[in-house]
Amino acid sequence: MFDARVGELEVLAREQGLDFFPTSFEVVPADIMTEMAAYGLPTRARHWSYGKVYQSQRLYGVMGLSKIYEIVLNNNPSLAFLLDTNTEIANLLVAAHVFAHVDFFTHNLLFANTNRNMINDAVAHALRIDAYSDRYGLEPVEHLMDIGLALDRHIDPYKGLERQPYPERHVVEKERPTLPYDDLFDRPAPSVTYEVKGTKLPPHPERDLLWFLCTYAPLDDWQRDTLQIIREESYYFYPQFCSKILNEGWASYWHAELFHHYSNVTPDEMIEFARLHASVVQPGGRASINPYFLGYRILVDIETRWDQMHAAGETPMTGRDKLFEVRQMEDDVSFLRNYLTTELVEELELFAYGSRCRHPPGQHCPRCQDIIITSRERDAVLNALLTPRYNYGAPHIVVQDVVNNALYLEHLDRATTFLDRRYAYQTLAYVAELWKHPVHVLTHNEEGKDLYLSAESP
Amino acid sequence: MDLPWELRRRGFKDSLRHDQRVKDAIRKNLRELIAEEAIITSDGRKTVKIPVRYLDQYRFKYGQPQPGVGQGPGQPGEILSRGTGADRGMRHGPGEQPGEATYEVEVPLADITQMMLEDLALPWLEEKPERQIRTASHQYTDIRRRGPLANLDKRRTLFNNIKRNAARGVPEIGDLQDADLRFKVWDDHEEAHANAAIYMLMDRSGSMTTGKKYVAKSFFFWMVRFLRHKYRQVETVFIAHDIDAQVVPEQDFFALSNSGGTKCSSAYQLALEHQQQHYPARSWNIYLFHFSDGDNWPEDNPACQARVTALLDLCTMVGYGEIRYDGDDIGFYGWPPQIEPLPSSLQSALQGIAHPRLCIVTLSHKDDVYQALQTFLQPRESTHV
Repeated sequence: MFDARVGELEVLAREQGLDFFPTSFEVVPADIMTEMAAYGLPTRARHWSYGKVYQSQRLYGVMGLSKIYEIVLNNNPSLAFLLDTNTEIANLLVAAHVFAHVDFFTHNLLFANTNRNMINDAVAHALRIDAYSDRYGLEPVEHLMDIGLALDRHIDPYKGLERQPYPERHVVEKERPTLPYDDLFDRPAPSVTYEVKGTKLPPHPERDLLWFLCTYAPLDDWQRDTLQIIREESYYFYPQFCSKILNEGWASYWHAELFHHYSNVTPDEMIEFARLHASVVQPGGRASINPYFLGYRILVDIETRWDQMHAAGETPMTGRDKLFEVRQMEDDVSFLRNYLTTELVEELELFAYGSRCRHPPGQHCPRCQDIIITSRERDAVLNALLTPRYNYGAPHIVVQDVVNNALYLEHLDRATTFLDRRYAYQTLAYVAELWKHPVHVLTHNEEGKDLYLSAESP
Repeated sequence: MDLPWELRRRGFKDSLRHDQRVKDAIRKNLRELIAEEAIITSDGRKTVKIPVRYLDQYRFKYGQPQPGVGQGPGQPGEILSRGTGADRGMRHGPGEQPGEATYEVEVPLADITQMMLEDLALPWLEEKPERQIRTASHQYTDIRRRGPLANLDKRRTLFNNIKRNAARGVPEIGDLQDADLRFKVWDDHEEAHANAAIYMLMDRSGSMTTGKKYVAKSFFFWMVRFLRHKYRQVETVFIAHDIDAQVVPEQDFFALSNSGGTKCSSAYQLALEHQQQHYPARSWNIYLFHFSDGDNWPEDNPACQARVTALLDLCTMVGYGEIRYDGDDIGFYGWPPQIEPLPSSLQSALQGIAHPRLCIVTLSHKDDVYQALQTFLQPRESTHV
């Protein structure tokens, strides 16, 4: 019965214009679900930090505080997991939701270069890291992974996963240009100038710290491979980080849309469906936003507006056409910027909140701990929504220079943000451990003046 | 799914690994745990539950509260949350970090004691004519045919095996039988040491706030534990004082409330008298530890100085700990507020006595208890001064 109905939903989804990789469903117990959610992939190189997430998630699950309904993997063919304790109608809703997610993976441009065979590659990664643990010991491998995972948000999605080293030091010959009619005058023969290129490492500020360390730090092959594995998996997850709101909104829009057209449900089931749908797209708490809710409401708003404009003859695109374009072209940042309108901010009663005090970011006072509503303006709300979504949610840190073997990093957004000192020193120590020479990072002190934090190599 | 077995059930394995790392971290961070309320109030239970945070993963991260977006009515300026940690999750923006999650680890108290007190010893302990302190140790003294396999004496077992085989005319190792097995057996071995009496003096005057008293109590808690753990017989005397001093039973000592002014000389005087009556210096090593906030009545300081000098002639060591810590007022970034007061009158009075066996320690944070224990109880050679 369930399989048949999933099949019907799939046909319906394709009729409606969704286009997705073949998708298979596995119905699994809650424990497996929790494990999958903690690791992000069914099988992945082991690390205690996943165990930590698993443990706390499991505790929440057992206490009934959270329930993971669905996990879907960006892979071709795609794989989705459903919870065995869910009712059939709940799992049908999730299946409809999943088809839209996979459609999003298939067509959104962020995902164009992702590894569509990650499920299998991650297994290979896990086996390789297990082999390293056997050969070099669990502790060294685990420690190296601590370092890699500390830096895994510092990648450069624009340069991509596969990169060549910077050009070696080389000399560019340039002939001095000969002006017209030079031969008529008594001028010296054209001279040649030499320009040395590739002397500075790195030639430009480098965002991809993991790549830089893999390429230029004195590492063993197994260490380089371990870091590359972490880097590769980080690239795989980056598009998902960047499209959480849009992707969840898109999937929520479509499970509602598909059930609107789907007739093979009893009235009882339809009521349960409506209840579940309402809980999926309900607003978040007072101080948190539910991405399903926000994405869904913006998409519905887009559809309504474009349908109206289309009816008025202002645009050739119907609401549905527009939605498909948005699903292909946008990430969360552009999606919110382009389509979170002033009217919508008012309608959803959104506000930006933050610390009450106004002094530079490094200082602290008793009022720092008071959180107040800072603004209800659309731009302020937008900024507050977008801030944690830039740069993989991490401070903007680049490699700036190598002087006498010492590595100089720079915290680029230091004027507006403040690095947590304890964490920064630990992370610097990690980098110094790989670099095997001192590492410095240029940031601001509490007064907003330039300051280097440093770590010696152990 | 068709997966190799070793790749399955990773969540469980990795969460065990996380627990393991937490325990290692506890081992490394004893100085912070030592004043943990759960341990000190454990009341002889065998294990304590210590609330620990999930282990941190270090990365570059923002140190200031990040802005976030919420929803509902309210005008700009309205306060959403106030004060200390009431809703920590809120500070980190929506759904990015779930605040500070903690869970409990169960650790045997004996383990913690063991880890902490390993390197400590009563300093300058001297042999005195009448010995009373005993320490226990185990020594393998005998061989038997039965016993736990862990105590198997491999060399003798193989030797017996060869002997038995040789008796049958095949002098080689093989055909190991139960009859060949030999086990080591130990005896408890008691060693007599010098006698020691420990005087523990605590200020219970009005100025000793709960926070300060807490530090003193945790020091004495570990002190007592240390003595019981390492030396089987030491005499302990507990003295509490405000203006007057009394010898109090141990259980009362840890449950004292505070009031009154401070006259530390009263406690030193009582210790002197008590010591002369009960533990004459010729046959006892006397140790005296005094904890106070140093807020002594100024006119009393010369008297204190005189008594401590007198005590130093009799005692193997006098330790004075001054507590500057007052409650757990931690700033937003986890830095304690910076208070550096000048040495108070009692400490400066005592510092006037230059004596190698007078140990003075200042505690400005509850983590310093470990430091105080280390300072007072470093093993030192017994040479005559």
